[in-house]
Amino acid sequence: MVDALREAHRVLRPRGILVDARPDSRVFAYAEHRTATGAYRQAGVIATARGAAGDDRASDRAAATAATSGWFRPLRAGRFWHRVLFEGRSALQRYLEDHARFTHRVRWMLDRARRRRWEADPWAIRRGVRYQIYERT
Amino acid sequence: MVTSTSAVGRILPAICSLLRPPPEDELREYGGLGLVRRKRVLDVGCGDGRMALGCAPYASEVVGVDPDPEAIRLARKKARQLGAANVRFKVGVAQELPFPDEHFDVVIFSWTL
Repeated sequence: MVDALREAHRVLRPRGILVDARPDSRVFAYAEHRTATGAYRQAGVIATARGAAGDDRASDRAAATAATSGWFRPLRAGRFWHRVLFEGRSALQRYLEDHARFTHRVRWMLDRARRRRWEADPWAIRRGVRYQIYERT
Repeated sequence: MVTSTSAVGRILPAICSLLRPPPEDELREYGGLGLVRRKRVLDVGCGDGRMALGCAPYASEVVGVDPDPEAIRLARKKARQLGAANVRFKVGVAQELPFPDEHFDVVIFSWTL
């Protein structure tokens, strides 16, 4: 990762901009049910899988190394939220099982009966994405 | 809040770029289209070209790099379909970028590091 940032520094002109954006494992993701009105209702909490969180920490260390090495100067940082939409709850569950980023189980805030009733409704995972904008020194 | 509304009703897991925000929305979060307008942009880990193709209408030149030849093939196909003439895609790794020094104005690692 540090090598990739060193290469980014090499190919960027002085005062060029580097954008580093990735899922934010420091916050939970949420399973959301879409109601008939189109609003989203929080229905459960999804944690980042341990392996993905470890990868994210390694990325953080690489970015910190790039900054302390004087290759880049941080300009600003932020977080935005993004919804991944699913046609039903089973598609959401399949996504969790197929992907390594999140734990495979949702910590539900809804009882089983309501989950079953809304099984075929649209669902979403709302997750945080954080970004950091750097200027090449 | 960024929402991939175009993805409603589809089976998402196999299609990576549908799991990400629309590129215009993502650029807006980073400060707006001015970030890439008339700039030379490198998208590292471009995958199927989602972000690179999103930058193309505004940037002077966009290059996408990804180690996966299949993703690059898909990105090139999308670029042809969109008629994006200022975009190139190359197979390559982030640790050894096949470009000269100080060539780009903007480098984007979107969900890459």
